[in-house]
Amino acid sequence: MEIFFNLLISGIMVGSVYALVALGWVLIYKCSGVLNLAMGELTLIGAYVCLTLYGWFARAIPQPTTAFIFALVGTLVIGAVLGLLTERVFLRKMIGEPVLSVIMVTVGLSFFFKGTVEFIWGTDTRVFTPEVFSKKPIPIWASIYVDSVYLWSFIAALVLLVIFVSFFKYTRWGLAMQATADDEMAALSLGVSAKFVYALAWAIAFMAAGVGGTLLGNVNGINISVGYLGLLVLPAVVLGGLNSVPGAIVGGIIIGVLQNMADGYLSQFTPGGVKEVAPLAFMVILLLFKPYGLWGWERIERV
Amino acid sequence: MSWLPCGVYHEHYKQDHAWWQTTFVKGKMMALAVVVLLAFPYMDLLAPDLGPYLLSVAIMLMYTIMAAAGVQLLIGYCGQVTLGHAAFVAVGAYTSCLVLMHGPALAAMGNDPSPVVRVLAGIFAGIMKAGLLYPAAIVLAAIVAGLWCVLFGLPSAKVKGFYLIMTTIAAQWITVEFFITQFVSQIGGRQQAFTVMPEHFSIGPFTIDSDKKIYYLGVALILIVTLAMANLLRSKPGRAWIAIRDNDIAAEAMGVNIVAYKLLAFFVAGAMGGVAGVFWLNFNSIISPEHFQWFWSLWWVGVILIGGVGSIHGTIFGSMFMVLVMEGLKAVVVPLGGAFPELLDRFLFIKEALFGLAIALFLIYEPNGIAYRWWQLKNYFNLWPFSY
Repeated sequence: MEIFFNLLISGIMVGSVYALVALGWVLIYKCSGVLNLAMGELTLIGAYVCLTLYGWFARAIPQPTTAFIFALVGTLVIGAVLGLLTERVFLRKMIGEPVLSVIMVTVGLSFFFKGTVEFIWGTDTRVFTPEVFSKKPIPIWASIYVDSVYLWSFIAALVLLVIFVSFFKYTRWGLAMQATADDEMAALSLGVSAKFVYALAWAIAFMAAGVGGTLLGNVNGINISVGYLGLLVLPAVVLGGLNSVPGAIVGGIIIGVLQNMADGYLSQFTPGGVKEVAPLAFMVILLLFKPYGLWGWERIERV
Repeated sequence: MSWLPCGVYHEHYKQDHAWWQTTFVKGKMMALAVVVLLAFPYMDLLAPDLGPYLLSVAIMLMYTIMAAAGVQLLIGYCGQVTLGHAAFVAVGAYTSCLVLMHGPALAAMGNDPSPVVRVLAGIFAGIMKAGLLYPAAIVLAAIVAGLWCVLFGLPSAKVKGFYLIMTTIAAQWITVEFFITQFVSQIGGRQQAFTVMPEHFSIGPFTIDSDKKIYYLGVALILIVTLAMANLLRSKPGRAWIAIRDNDIAAEAMGVNIVAYKLLAFFVAGAMGGVAGVFWLNFNSIISPEHFQWFWSLWWVGVILIGGVGSIHGTIFGSMFMVLVMEGLKAVVVPLGGAFPELLDRFLFIKEALFGLAIALFLIYEPNGIAYRWWQLKNYFNLWPFSY
């Protein structure tokens, strides 16, 4: 039972990071209908940018936490700029094109980003030095422990989730995004600029993914496999329903828990690799029985 | 007799569907086929130092064409997007590898207690005696890869579009990263790579061990794959696939059994992938899961997008474009490597980034692919200088 709770807690903590990235994914899909397969590379870029910035700031600022917060803010700014740029250069031209073309543009982008990142930063695993969060386990309840790095990334992910969701709900720009997602024509006729909304969605996705990558990078160090997060997001959003923001958050957390459980309980029966494959296998089964997820819109098709 | 656009009229549907509409075209294409397909390996008579290199590029090109043909069938003709085709190529390669490696041992188990094994041993002994183990391995690889593809095509009965894409992505990871890496590679106790000795690749008395022979095997396999695809597309299954691609609900209303035809498309595409896998095994004689990573699945989709979706020669144009551009890139980067050594270390990454950029830019600026340009070019010169 203790193992179960340990797995559950750390699953929820990792899942919150997935939820953050899934939120970015869903925002893009909801607002502009683009199915983004480059999400993993966005996390990769964010993680490496933050690492570099942290390296610079850590030299000037003695306190690691302060330096990290500055680096994180810098990552958000750079992420926003890159998001706007990507949308303007590649995705805006694809508005109204067939779904496959748009998906494949994002696949092309993912290769482009990945190749560029590898070219600039190489493929060795890098860690945040000096360490930002200590790896010391913190007791939560009785004999259940969690690494403090997990706890901090959980808290950071929660704070950002709250910020993004309240941005979406209460600000003018967020409401414009909701309106576009709901009915683009109506939103356009009420003076919402769709182009602006698309650009904003990409900027937010870049920011969310960047923070997600940074948080995961704090846990395991940063290398190309951080980009695998982009694949894990897919089961999360399918589970939640492609166009549901709460669905993305719940889906992300469930996938995190599921992945940890599968790793904890099933990996003894196989030579390895369960952790990577379990979410995807789960997704295939889910697609067979409940393809529109928990809260997704069921699309009615007519000829 | 010769020129079609004005003056020659079709009198039967048969003529309309013929591959070669006039005798002139037929003769021209035959001559081209002989030159390109048969005479190409003798390039080294003209250019002794360049010939072997060109031959190896041509072999890589043929592998790309075969693998991309299945992707083209699924995406371009049946509308079922697959982003996990490397999995099926891998299944084909591993099946044939296992047959070649363990077939002789199985054939020797003639007096095993289990009757199933005895029957199998008898069959394999017969095949071995005829010297047809390698062709049998090719056929078996195609069938197993096709069935594996059908397995992951099953969700297409219920979901489509993006959801189907996700299942094919899952197919890639479940097959290659999990099933093959963790289980199949453990067979025989040696992990990771399987090696097959060149003498195993023999059809009767002929052993396919040199690049030239591999080239001719590739020519034969490509002809089979392309002819099968072209003929399927101009018969009932092809029409059903195209109907499903254009509008699946309308196709169902017209009486097309969409589930059966989708699964058939998955089977044929998987089988083509399996054949490609065997070919890869033959010219590499070593396979490991790293040869079938997700990158390749996306690479082949990129090939058909650049070549042109929904056209057989688009597959070939796309493969030529990708393979030749990458070789050209190598030719540019390698001399520069003297001045900038880090360029050579990171060549793979440059390749990846440029591939991604090429796909994105092609989709934005040339969504119809090279095949469309080819068609325009042909039309322009069709009645030149008096075009319409």
